[in-house]
Amino acid sequence: MNEPAKIKVRVKESHRYGDLLVHDGIEFDVKENEFVCVVGQSGCGKSTLLDILSGLMKPSEGHVLIDGEPADPKKQNISFVFQEPSNLPWLTVWNNIATGLRIKKYPTAEITKIVNDIIDVVGLRGFQDYYPHQISGGMKQRVAIARAFATDADVILMDEPFVSLDQHTREKMQQEILDIWRLRKRTVIFVTHNLEEAVFLGDRVVILTNKPARVKEEMDIQLPRPRDLLSPEFNELRVRCTESLNATRAPREEAVPT
Amino acid sequence: MEDKSMNTQVNYTRLPLAGARKAPNQLMKRLRPVAYNILSLGAGLLAWQLLAMAVSSPFFPGPAKILEAFIQLANQGDTMGNSLWAHSWGSLHRVLVGFGIALILGVPFGLLMGLNKPLYVSTRAIVEPFRFIPPIAWIPLAIIFFSGLPRFAFLIFLGAFFPIFTATQVGVARVEPIHRKVFLIHGASKFQILTRVVIPTVLPDIFGGMRVGMGAAWLTIVAAELTGGTSIGLGRMMVDYSELLKIPEVIVGMLIVGAIGFLLNESLLLVEKRLFRWRWQVSL
Repeated sequence: MNEPAKIKVRVKESHRYGDLLVHDGIEFDVKENEFVCVVGQSGCGKSTLLDILSGLMKPSEGHVLIDGEPADPKKQNISFVFQEPSNLPWLTVWNNIATGLRIKKYPTAEITKIVNDIIDVVGLRGFQDYYPHQISGGMKQRVAIARAFATDADVILMDEPFVSLDQHTREKMQQEILDIWRLRKRTVIFVTHNLEEAVFLGDRVVILTNKPARVKEEMDIQLPRPRDLLSPEFNELRVRCTESLNATRAPREEAVPT
Repeated sequence: MEDKSMNTQVNYTRLPLAGARKAPNQLMKRLRPVAYNILSLGAGLLAWQLLAMAVSSPFFPGPAKILEAFIQLANQGDTMGNSLWAHSWGSLHRVLVGFGIALILGVPFGLLMGLNKPLYVSTRAIVEPFRFIPPIAWIPLAIIFFSGLPRFAFLIFLGAFFPIFTATQVGVARVEPIHRKVFLIHGASKFQILTRVVIPTVLPDIFGGMRVGMGAAWLTIVAAELTGGTSIGLGRMMVDYSELLKIPEVIVGMLIVGAIGFLLNESLLLVEKRLFRWRWQVSL
């Protein structure tokens, strides 16, 4: 496929807290409707990269182009699923999901249709009038995901959204996110430090070094979905990614168990 | 992945917990503190009545005398024919006007200072000194510059403004950055963030400030009325009767002041409970 990339990441340098060099030349492309996983050790600057990708933050040098334009949340349709619970506590589940649509001033009838539709997709039918504090962690993230997918965004960014969930819920959510992505076909950039998750979900895995971060390697995951965590092909890819990631660590750090 | 190992049936026999007591009736549990309260109140009133009868002085009335005075006042009004309602409403409407102005000015100012830290920091020297001057200290100036309702509204405003202003300002700092981010991601304008994130976050704090401000306002009105300039008002009524050395009526005035203050607080609490169902903490 030789279509132009949907997203062109060309971050030459970015800083945080004054002069801490977080990124030192991150370049990769993302094709339309691709599911790309970005992995790196904790603290390597993954969240900062997402801030730059969403346009919330500008790199000190370099740019990110979405559909040829610099990333700008006001001009483009970008969605973000955060690591921490991001639901507004004073709104019901229904109203939380409608938040993005309301901000973008969709007409009421359309909002009702879209939200009702997506509530069924994420499996929250029956909980529309509940408040965030009344639902479990997994459900809170489902609300956040519903909110992100409701606006039909060009790009959906996810910052380790399942890291605070227990194993069982996390596996369930991983499958759900693949289902939604397949249904709605969006471009997704998924950040995680969990290699198994990255190889399970992504079309491609981008591995970052530690600070100052660069792209160490990009690995195509050609396995058909649904992927079998126990298959030798899966494990071979996972081992290769793990070794690549381990090679990025500083000498004193512990290696990620294979 | 399905875990098939848990599909076997297990049978348990229930053993009673040794020495377990029967759980008390839920209703009884709720009524118990009420019952204790009524009992202790009754005991207190009784002790007071007996002590008053023993001391037998016109300056130390017992509950019976106070009740008598209350009934008299309620039926016939005070010595000039003003009813208790007139006095109560006299004080109340002054408080409401002053409090209303404090609310209308306090919330926007609080939001402004909370959102614009440099502005707050550079204007502190002008604003902060006023916070520590009690409204009562303003009475001499208030007498010179104002009369009638404006005088009282001014003093009440001074009492209620700072709690509301400070609570609002502090509340703004509690706005979660992630909520802001959610809105920024969707391309929200500053105004949208203000109305849909900042204000809902700050609203509980504003109500807390309102209750403190209302309390301060109500406390101030009595002192303000003691200074004269009116013939209506609970504070005025109390002063008049104390000059006549009629203590039971003075105490009736005090109790009514306390009762109205209590009701004002409770109404605000009620509104708070309805508005903030989404909270899980209990605010007092």
